[in-house]
Amino acid sequence: MKFEIKVEYYPGDTGEFIKVIEENCTGCGDCAKFCTRDVWQPDGAIYRPVNLKDCVECGACWNVCEFDAVIFNEPKGGTGVRFEYG
Amino acid sequence: MSNNEYDVVIVGAGCAGPAAAKKAAELGLKVILFEKSQVPGEKNVSGTCLNGAALVDPDLHYLMEGPVEREIREMRTYHINKDRTTVFHEIPSEGLLLLSIRRDHYDAWHVEEAKKAGAEVRLSTTILDIIEEDGYVKGVVTDTGEKFYGKVVIDAAGVNSIVGRKAGLIPKRKGTNMILYVTVCVELGEEVINERFGDCIEYYLSPGIQHKTWPWIFPKKDTVTLGTGGYMDENLLNDEFPNINKYMENYLNLPAVKKKLEGGKIVAWGLHLEYDEKIKQRVKNGLILTGEAGGFVIPFLGEGMVEAYFTGIYAAQAAANAIETNDFSKEKLAETYETLISENLFMQTFRHIAAVNKEAILTKTDEEITQMMQQVIMGGGFISNAVHTNWMNGVEDQDMERIQDAYDFLELMKPYAQVDPYFENLYNERKRK
Repeated sequence: MKFEIKVEYYPGDTGEFIKVIEENCTGCGDCAKFCTRDVWQPDGAIYRPVNLKDCVECGACWNVCEFDAVIFNEPKGGTGVRFEYG
Repeated sequence: MSNNEYDVVIVGAGCAGPAAAKKAAELGLKVILFEKSQVPGEKNVSGTCLNGAALVDPDLHYLMEGPVEREIREMRTYHINKDRTTVFHEIPSEGLLLLSIRRDHYDAWHVEEAKKAGAEVRLSTTILDIIEEDGYVKGVVTDTGEKFYGKVVIDAAGVNSIVGRKAGLIPKRKGTNMILYVTVCVELGEEVINERFGDCIEYYLSPGIQHKTWPWIFPKKDTVTLGTGGYMDENLLNDEFPNINKYMENYLNLPAVKKKLEGGKIVAWGLHLEYDEKIKQRVKNGLILTGEAGGFVIPFLGEGMVEAYFTGIYAAQAAANAIETNDFSKEKLAETYETLISENLFMQTFRHIAAVNKEAILTKTDEEITQMMQQVIMGGGFISNAVHTNWMNGVEDQDMERIQDAYDFLELMKPYAQVDPYFENLYNERKRK
């Protein structure tokens, strides 16, 4: 079977629920390493959550960041990832 | 009480939240339950089999009335290496073992039950902050800035709950206490699943498909869910496994799995974290952490939903006792909450099993684990491994205390050896026609 990443999203603007605190980011890249969805991308010496629309809200980036450079909030009510089938 | 004032404010309508809301409403409290998704269960990944050994507890009997996908009675484990495939077919107890469910359908049903009991429910509402005054958690703030006050706040918002984080109770976690899981849901149709899986869940052990976890296939009505993953330590990702999806790709490409899924199509992909140790502090003045927010999950055994139901219900009881005495201190909340948890035989025994098995798994290589699993399975599963590990280590070290622990645990487990046919009879009485 061909592996496929099939993810549904609710319509609507999630807001910027993941952000980088630039002055804390050392550019170590752990956020990007553990992000399964390539949300985090390098930008000069630091990383930014560029592809936030692909985020599935797992929180790995926030958990692995040793420098407290990741702000991980929640998308606006009724928006963001939608896991059918459970 | 004004419009935005409640006895109990509950955040998260997964497993613990609706259970807490229903119980609190039944105890006569004014309750509001918040959920960020449009449909309860649609922010949840995995958590798909309810364990009969827990559902026989009277507190959980009502859960048998929910929408069930498939009744699970058997278990198969495939141990595959490059030389051979060994299949262990187990019927651990005669009769019903687990109930397979779909979280979107099941959680939505559960929320309706909470509503029927009198709880108010707000869907599509994200909680972004807590209100703290005079050292007490007094309420929550929504994404639109609306404030809701509760005498007790119950956090049921999952592994990364913003409530528990804002309250300073949920720290960052990785390494050997956090697991990253990836799942896919494959549509095969009811008849094909009846033929290939029937009422049997399957586990697969093979090099390259997991990192110290146990990949599974759980059949539902017309889909099956596959899951795999690993502890978020320094060996999870590397050049060979740059991404957690690589484990899933290898899993799907195992010839035995490929054959089972032939003709099917992936209809959903999911990802989530599971934390598998107790949170150090699960109460604060005015706040109780339940379910995954409180660290009540045993990912190694795939056990989390029933712990969430139990702790949700116990949190509601703790809130009711606090309200009766007008004392919302952490000591008062913990008095009821921790007592009920410590008296729950299911939670205590399963945590013990998980701890002993986890210790074994983390100290062995993947090759050794598959070998150990083989013995575990032949020896009757994780329960006997937990007993045997303590027993054998005790003998080896001439440590009578460990031997006594193993013996005591065996005694404690006795009721669970005879779950059936009691569970089956109960389920037949209560299941939806």
